[in-house]
Amino acid sequence: MDIRIIEYKNLNEKIYVYEHKSGLSAFVVPKKGYSKKFATYATNYGSVNSEFIIPGENNITRVPEGIAHFLEHKLFDQEDGSIMDKFSELGADPNAYTGFNQTVYLFSCTDRFNENFNLLLRFVQNPYLTDESIEKERGIIGQEIKMYQDHPDWRVFFNYLGALYHNMPVKIDIAGTIESISKIDKKTLLTCYNTFYHPSNMIILVVGDVDPDDIFNKVESSIKTKESRSEIKRIFPQEPETVNEKYVELSMPVSTPQFQMGFKDKAGFRGKALLEREVAVDMLLEMIVGKSSELYDSLYNEGLINSTFSFDYMIEEDYAHSIIGGESKDPIKVRDRIAAQIENIKAKGLDRSVFERIKRSKYGRFLRQLNSVENISYFFISVYFKGAYVFDYAQIYDKITFEYVNEVFNDHFDLEKLALSVVKPV
Amino acid sequence: MNELIEREEVSKIASFNSIDVFSIKTEKFKTNAIHIFFNDNLSEENVTKNALVPAVLRRGTENHPTFKDLALYLEQLYGASFDCGVVKKGEQQIINFYIEYISDRFVQKDENISEKAVDLLIEILTRPVLENGLFKPAYVEQEKENLKDRIEGRINDKVQYAVERCLEELCKGEPYELYEYGKVEHLPNITPEELYRRYIYIIETLPMRVFISGDSSDGVIEGIVNKLKQFPRGEIKKVEIPKAKKQPEAIREITDRMNVNQGKLSLGFRTNIMADDDNYYALAVYNGILGGGIHSKLFQNVREKASLAYYAFSRLDKFKGLMVISSGIEIANKNKAIDIIREQMEDIKKGNITDYEFDSTLKSFETTLKSIADSHTGMVDFYLSQVLYSTGDTPASFINKIKSVKKEDVIRVSNMIEPGVVYFLTSME
Repeated sequence: MDIRIIEYKNLNEKIYVYEHKSGLSAFVVPKKGYSKKFATYATNYGSVNSEFIIPGENNITRVPEGIAHFLEHKLFDQEDGSIMDKFSELGADPNAYTGFNQTVYLFSCTDRFNENFNLLLRFVQNPYLTDESIEKERGIIGQEIKMYQDHPDWRVFFNYLGALYHNMPVKIDIAGTIESISKIDKKTLLTCYNTFYHPSNMIILVVGDVDPDDIFNKVESSIKTKESRSEIKRIFPQEPETVNEKYVELSMPVSTPQFQMGFKDKAGFRGKALLEREVAVDMLLEMIVGKSSELYDSLYNEGLINSTFSFDYMIEEDYAHSIIGGESKDPIKVRDRIAAQIENIKAKGLDRSVFERIKRSKYGRFLRQLNSVENISYFFISVYFKGAYVFDYAQIYDKITFEYVNEVFNDHFDLEKLALSVVKPV
Repeated sequence: MNELIEREEVSKIASFNSIDVFSIKTEKFKTNAIHIFFNDNLSEENVTKNALVPAVLRRGTENHPTFKDLALYLEQLYGASFDCGVVKKGEQQIINFYIEYISDRFVQKDENISEKAVDLLIEILTRPVLENGLFKPAYVEQEKENLKDRIEGRINDKVQYAVERCLEELCKGEPYELYEYGKVEHLPNITPEELYRRYIYIIETLPMRVFISGDSSDGVIEGIVNKLKQFPRGEIKKVEIPKAKKQPEAIREITDRMNVNQGKLSLGFRTNIMADDDNYYALAVYNGILGGGIHSKLFQNVREKASLAYYAFSRLDKFKGLMVISSGIEIANKNKAIDIIREQMEDIKKGNITDYEFDSTLKSFETTLKSIADSHTGMVDFYLSQVLYSTGDTPASFINKIKSVKKEDVIRVSNMIEPGVVYFLTSME
């Protein structure tokens, strides 16, 4: 068995890597002294993948929105009952989530890891779908969709994405709509399963106090598919560079207006280049609107923002945007002040000493993330499908230059590509 | 028993001036943390002021007089995190402060991050920025406004709101009905002077607990203890834990209306069993069987079988002897959901508990309790609860007590649970 070890000495972390002949990659991040063990089985397939060409075919397949999430729910059903029950009997905590770009199945446990791991390997490889159980799930997911419709932060977020994107499917709710899930049936679910759950499109990751050899042996003997397969062609609509709408609003029963705003960014980055851009925009947001910035200080003192104010940068190979949001009595004023500050910085330039301080701070906060086996798993999966390893961030923080951050500043913060979404009280 | 838990047990390392200092030693994290807690009885008179004091303290100190200066200094300390706020545990209001910073192992030797972080936390508590000997009026006004937003913002998260409203109604007329962040109507009358007096009272008078967790050397810990000894302390207030059981009352139906897509149903109960009661462990198992996870009767029947909901759970407040059941459903399905929920509770009373439900519950407790040792806050919160309510459990002893619960015990406690409130958050007419 060919096992590769990637060592990150400064972080005191290691990744063990094993490639299965089917094309599946398996990873172990040992965490000595932790009680909890976290195992994930993930596919590079999420809510945005509703158009694709199946390997070996020529025609485009289109499936209803929300199907990746529906499939995630249904995979827990097995011929001998719900696999959830079996995890519960073993004291494990199973879960799954569907994102824009991944579907992830996982469990955490403190004891009887091997038995639980066998269950995970088994159920993800064995879909068991019946018309009756699909019907039942439609009711449950229908309530999940309605629950999110009552969440103002969810609504303001998807409205924001709708403002940014004309066509990109990231603007559509991960769970789909009551209407779109009504079109999901056994046949469409199986089409998606057979396309995206091939091992060559999947990874397995275990984080915790475990022995990598044991894990990889288990993987080797459990993966049923032995052959690799050619790549799936994922189809994305043409997306103009411009934003779809500069401003959108919605009324809901909330106490005070909620907003999300930000800049649509160009896509096409991968691997460490993607991480580097992510770190750069993240640092810039911190420099421009972070807690130690002039702007934050004045917006807070004027009562225009409160402690719910936060920001983030979302970058994938096919789309990228920054998100700045929170509660505000006057979101439009906040947007205008941020825009004015960006103009101001464009005129006078970024401050190198602030850059150095933020770099140090971001590095410390990155280290803190590594305390938790959950966090490591979550970031590992997301970063891996973008072509890098979660621990690569350390190197980026070490190497990133003021000049590069300046370049990204001029590129990302383009006021023409700024959109604002507001949820207002009824 | 899992040896890790035993190894990461807390030890009380010092006690002076009603300040108890606890240490949790572990090398597995990349950060260290210090948590400081003051506890008070939840009261109409002080709840809002207790919530406002930390909000003003985090605005600035003598050396770092603005929010911006503080944020900037934290960034210099490799992104150390500081925060503070209040939480409610039963009828106690806990005012908490913490700082978390990267271990000295990951930075240059001469940086002394730990010492600077400790000094900062103590400075925030003892040397706030003042104007004419009082809190800065501008800070007080701004934080009053922010607190108002926070209190009014409770309606934004409907799932949580439906749970809290139900428990509030259940405990009408008792301190428990107070929201931990207080009431909007108290705010206009709080002056900088009065708030400053309240601050002095908190620092000098309320019982204080300090938890130091991480890989700090004995020398560093001793240094922290010595600094804590300089805290200005006076005569300490005795915080009482109310024990009185409530007489059962008629079940009340409460309906709130908002423009919502989904109905949120919450049922409130009195268990009359507190954390230090011998019956508590059986109650915890009861709750696990009823609605504590995917193996539970509520999840299996309300969601999986009837397909009525995405979520359905039950939860205890062990410090007040309460239980709440909550689920998000189609508005028209209210009665159907209530029937299924009542059936599940009746089933337990009749002893219809499968081995699967029972064993999964015990194992789920074991996993949760063992996982406590995997984070600073997990450990600190567990031990704080033990200290506040003198229950004296470790995760290991808690697991043992849970494991010794029998089905008969669960059936026995199931008969002690009294329904009180049926709460429904629904759409406008």
